Amino acid sequence: MDFMGSLITGLSVACEPNNLFFCFMGVFIGTLIGVLPGLGPVATMSILLPVTYGISATTAIIMLSGIYYGAYYGGSTTSILVNIPGETASVITCLDGYQMARQGRAGPALGIAAFGSFIAGTVGIIVLQVLAPPLVAVALKFGAPEYFSLMVLGLTILIFLAEKSVIKALMMAGVGTFLGTVGLDTITGVARFSFDIPEFLDGLGIVPMAMGLFGIAEIFFNLEKSIKTDVTDAKIGHLLPSLKDWMESKWAIARGTVVGFFLGILPGGGGVLASFVSYAVEKMVSKNPQKFGRGAIEGVAGPESANNAAASGGYIPLLTLGIPVGVVQAILLGALMLHGITPGPMLLKEHPDLFWGVIASMYVGNAMLLVLNLPLIGLWVKVLRIPYSILFPLILLFCLIGAYAVNNSTVDVAIMLFFGVVGYLMRKFEYEPAPFIMAFVLSPIMEQSLRRSLIISDGHFGIFFATPISLGCLILAGLLLILAALPAFRKRREKIVTEAEDMG
Amino acid sequence: MGADRVSSLCWLAFGLLCIYGSVMLGLGTMREPGTGFFPFLAGCFFTLLALIVFVRSLVPGRGFQARISSLWEGAIWHRPLAVGILMAGYILALERIGFLLTSLVVLLIMLKGVEKFSWWKALLISILSSGSTFLLFHVLLKATLPTGIFGF
Repeated sequence: MDFMGSLITGLSVACEPNNLFFCFMGVFIGTLIGVLPGLGPVATMSILLPVTYGISATTAIIMLSGIYYGAYYGGSTTSILVNIPGETASVITCLDGYQMARQGRAGPALGIAAFGSFIAGTVGIIVLQVLAPPLVAVALKFGAPEYFSLMVLGLTILIFLAEKSVIKALMMAGVGTFLGTVGLDTITGVARFSFDIPEFLDGLGIVPMAMGLFGIAEIFFNLEKSIKTDVTDAKIGHLLPSLKDWMESKWAIARGTVVGFFLGILPGGGGVLASFVSYAVEKMVSKNPQKFGRGAIEGVAGPESANNAAASGGYIPLLTLGIPVGVVQAILLGALMLHGITPGPMLLKEHPDLFWGVIASMYVGNAMLLVLNLPLIGLWVKVLRIPYSILFPLILLFCLIGAYAVNNSTVDVAIMLFFGVVGYLMRKFEYEPAPFIMAFVLSPIMEQSLRRSLIISDGHFGIFFATPISLGCLILAGLLLILAALPAFRKRREKIVTEAEDMG
Repeated sequence: MGADRVSSLCWLAFGLLCIYGSVMLGLGTMREPGTGFFPFLAGCFFTLLALIVFVRSLVPGRGFQARISSLWEGAIWHRPLAVGILMAGYILALERIGFLLTSLVVLLIMLKGVEKFSWWKALLISILSSGSTFLLFHVLLKATLPTGIFGF
C-alpha cells in the first residue's frame, strides 16, 4: 500500500464518528491530566484500561494514544504558568517557559509550545507512516538472537544516557530484569518467586509498579516540601507568537522534532530524555547561551517539539517489533493483548485498519489539540489554581482506583504503595527508576529470546555473534559501555548533570 | 553511615537472596536452561554491581557519600510517612468496608490530620471527592469498585 493509500485507509477509520468521539475524549482527558501535577498518562491510561473492554481495539488504542500525546500538550501549560511540570517530559520547559510568563510573555510561550508540539507531532506521524512498512519487512527477519541483542542494546543506550552513576543505573537494570522474572515461567510453567500469592503468578503488574515508582514516589517527594501553587498573575495576552518569535523558534522546532523522534524510538528514551537533550542542543548551538534560563523562546519550542515527536517515535518499535519502549507503550501493548491482538511484524498485514487507523487518528488528535488547547487555556489556569493540598489526595485516590482497576485486586494497590516507597527511597539515595522499569518491561522478552537462542544453538553463545543484526547490536552496545566508562566522558556528563541541577 | 554504603548493603542482601532463590528453582544446563537460569544471571549481575558500589563507598570522595540523616535535613518527613501509613490502612480496609466509605474516611483524615484543614472543609472536600469519583468510575464508566459490607 502506498503512502496516500494507507493515509486514506487510516483516515477513513479515524474519522468514523465513534473513533472521532473517543479520540476527542482521549486528547481532552490527556490535556487535563497533563495539566494536573502528579497524575500522568500512565495512571490515567491504567484507570481507563478496563473501560476499553467494551469498545473495539482500534477505538481503544485511539483513545489511549490521545491521552498519551494530549498529556504532553497539557504538561507544558503547568510548566509555563506555575513552574510545576504537569508531567516529567515538561520539566525542562519550566526553565524558560516560566521566565517568559513572569516577563508577561505567557501567551507566546503557551502558543509556541502548542504550535511546536503540533508541528513536531505531525512530522513525527508522517515519518512513522513512511518508516513503518520497511521496518516491518526488516522485523520479519528477526529471530530470538536478534531480539535478545536488540534488548541488550536498548538497555545499554538507556544506561549510557543515565543522569548519574552508570554503575547504579546498571544495577537498577539488573534488579528490574530480576523482578521481571516473577510469575509463571512461560517455557516450563513453573511458578517463580510467587510466594503462593495467586496475583503474582502473572508477574508483578507493570501498571501498579510504574504508578508507584513515578506517581506515588513523586507525591511523597512533594509532600516533604511545602508547595505553593503560584499561578502567574501576569496577563496571558495574545497566544499567537509574533514573527520574531517564529524566526527564533523555527530551527529549535525542527531540531527538536528530529532529536525527539529518534530518541523516542529508543527503549527508555521517550519524551523526558528527548526534551532534555533538545534543550541541551539548543543551548549548545545558540549564539546567546546565557539567555537560556532567562526566558529564551527556543528553550520552550525545542523541548516541547521534542517530547511530542518522541511520542510518535515510540510507536515504531511497538507496532513493528512488538517491543514497548516505555511504560506507556507497555500499557498500549497490554490493551492490544486484551483484545486478542499481538503487536509485532504481522500487525500491519493482519490488522491494517488498526495500524493505519491509529496512525491517522494522531493527525486528527493533534489538530484537535491545537484547536482545543489555545481557547481552553483559561480553563486549565482555573484547574491550576486548585491548591496542591486538595489536589494530592485526589490524585492519590485516582492512582488507588487505577491500580485496583487493573485486576480488581488490592494486591496491585499494595504493589503500587510498595514501589511508591521504593521509588521515594531510590530518589533519595540517587538511584534512577528509568533503567529499573525498562528492564522490567523488557525482561520477559529478553529471557525468552536468550533461552530459545541457547536451545537452538545447543548451548553456544556464539549464536549471538552469528548474524549481522545481532552482532551489530552487541558491538554497538559494547562500544557505548566502553565510552560511558571513559574518564573524559564521565567528567563531561557530571558537568552537564551539575549544570542541569543548578538550573533546576 | 554514608548513603551509598547503606543502600549497597541492602541491595547486596537482596541480591544474595535472589541468587539463592534462583538456584533453588534449578539452573538447568546451557543446552536447556532451567527456570532459575535467567533470574540467576540477573541476580549475580546486580549483586556484583552492589558489591562494587559498596567497595567504592569505602573510598573517601567516591560515590554518593552523604550521611543518611542529611538526606532528610529540612524535609517535612512526617507528611509522606503519615500518607504512606494511611494508604496502607486504605488497602486493608478497601474490600471490607467498600470504596466509598474507605475513601471518605481516609481523605478526611488526610485533609484534617496532614493538611490541617478545618473539620467542615475537610469533610466537604472528602464527600465531594469520594462521591464524584464513585459516580464517575462506578456509575458512569462501569469500573468495578469494591462495595464492602455496606454494599457501596
